[in-house]
Amino acid sequence: MESEKWEICSSDGDLCTEDLKDEEDAFYPLSGSISKLQFRKASSRACWNSEVGMAEVVERKGQIWTTTGVLRGGKLYCSIEETLFLAEIGALVLVDENGTGLSLEGIYGKLAEEKNGCCWEHYEVYKHLKSLGYIVGRRGVPWTLKSVGTDALTEDRFITDRLSKLDLNGLEPAFDVYLPNGKFKKSSPGDPSYVLCLTRESPPSRKDVEVLERQSGHIPVKFCHVENGRVSFFSFSKVDLPVLP
Amino acid sequence: MGPRWKGKGFEAKALDDPMSAIVSRLQSFMKDSNAHGLISGSSVILALSSECGNLLNSASFGRPMATVDKEKQWFQLGMEEAFYFHHILNCLEISNGDKQLVTDHDLWQYMTKRKSIFPESFMAYSHLRTKNWVVRSGSQYGVDFVAYRHHPSLVHSEYAVLVLRKGDDESHQRLRSWSEVHCAVRLSGSVAKTLLALFIGKCGYGETSPSFFNGYHVEERIVARWSPEQCREDHTVPRSGS
Repeated sequence: MESEKWEICSSDGDLCTEDLKDEEDAFYPLSGSISKLQFRKASSRACWNSEVGMAEVVERKGQIWTTTGVLRGGKLYCSIEETLFLAEIGALVLVDENGTGLSLEGIYGKLAEEKNGCCWEHYEVYKHLKSLGYIVGRRGVPWTLKSVGTDALTEDRFITDRLSKLDLNGLEPAFDVYLPNGKFKKSSPGDPSYVLCLTRESPPSRKDVEVLERQSGHIPVKFCHVENGRVSFFSFSKVDLPVLP
Repeated sequence: MGPRWKGKGFEAKALDDPMSAIVSRLQSFMKDSNAHGLISGSSVILALSSECGNLLNSASFGRPMATVDKEKQWFQLGMEEAFYFHHILNCLEISNGDKQLVTDHDLWQYMTKRKSIFPESFMAYSHLRTKNWVVRSGSQYGVDFVAYRHHPSLVHSEYAVLVLRKGDDESHQRLRSWSEVHCAVRLSGSVAKTLLALFIGKCGYGETSPSFFNGYHVEERIVARWSPEQCREDHTVPRSGS
């Protein structure tokens, strides 16, 4: 086989479609996000329970509840991120324990407290994926439990607290992510498509990736980085390049 | 990203003449002709007959040097390539400026002195070449190596390779900040390559001798960006940006 030509080192020139989208985002940041969200007309109602850090849904409207909130003994509860997301699009009205309505400002305030298992960056990730139609739940928190009462919720809170304390150099498996699925059932959700870990300052070390992969079993792990409202996702998957002929 | 062949019929051409066979022919030829190189700086230069030179080009090793010499073709090899011929394929003798034959051990030490990550770099190079991938320098793409499925004239390189140390040694480590990760992935993607990180770990023996080869372990990981906008199963969901 003859091959006298030297490899010419030119870039292959494939224009990344991501480049084009990034340009758009830079100039029209708001238009993109608004067109993604669909503002609702009919609102559900929920009551905030500060003891467990969740909202109990007292009046359900619309299809959103098939993929949002957890069932505990037949009652429906949603986390701060779920609550805030629905409130932002007008699908949920939140009241406090006294029945007083909570404005968006009030809910943002609750998020800023960082006492309910979620911080601003968590919320940005949650919102980003929910807006794209993904189904997102907190890692390790079951969608349905038959047990009645606040015991189950306390257990949920315990799970979230434990996960955030794992703190592998600022890493935590935060969310279970499912691909958009019109047939999603909380009673049998199946395995998530991905386990999503939020990172803080730095990317995960190889060792961190290994630990998290082991914890997640066969479910692929993705890592998320939030910077100035931009959410990016990366994977560091193990491979084995084939032996070529 | 799958292999991108540069022309029609090139994939078939590659299948007809597998790289392992080409390298094997080259190895025999070099052995039979007592191929001999001269170590100079960080390169090993050698002269080959035109037939052998053609084989070297076919296997995509080294860079041809333009000289007036009509009988021989001159080539320069990188350190990893030279060591690969010398120690793995056992088909190249190397001497130094003092006209002395250099041993494995001396060569290893010399190369490690010039480039402290040479052991890991060599293990990465050798790992891929042994799997019959063609491995070339990746510096023009901001990475350590690029890997091709066959000869670069037939196919574009698929992988942009970064060599990293496994373990606690943080010196020479890459991908330590998010901006580096973004940068490396973006750069690789813009030239249609997948970023491959090779983590090389030692097994705790002395690092200064190649006789502890089997003490090295290579872990392959793909560093990739996930775009949730593009990966949804439900393709009827309208995309944003309108």
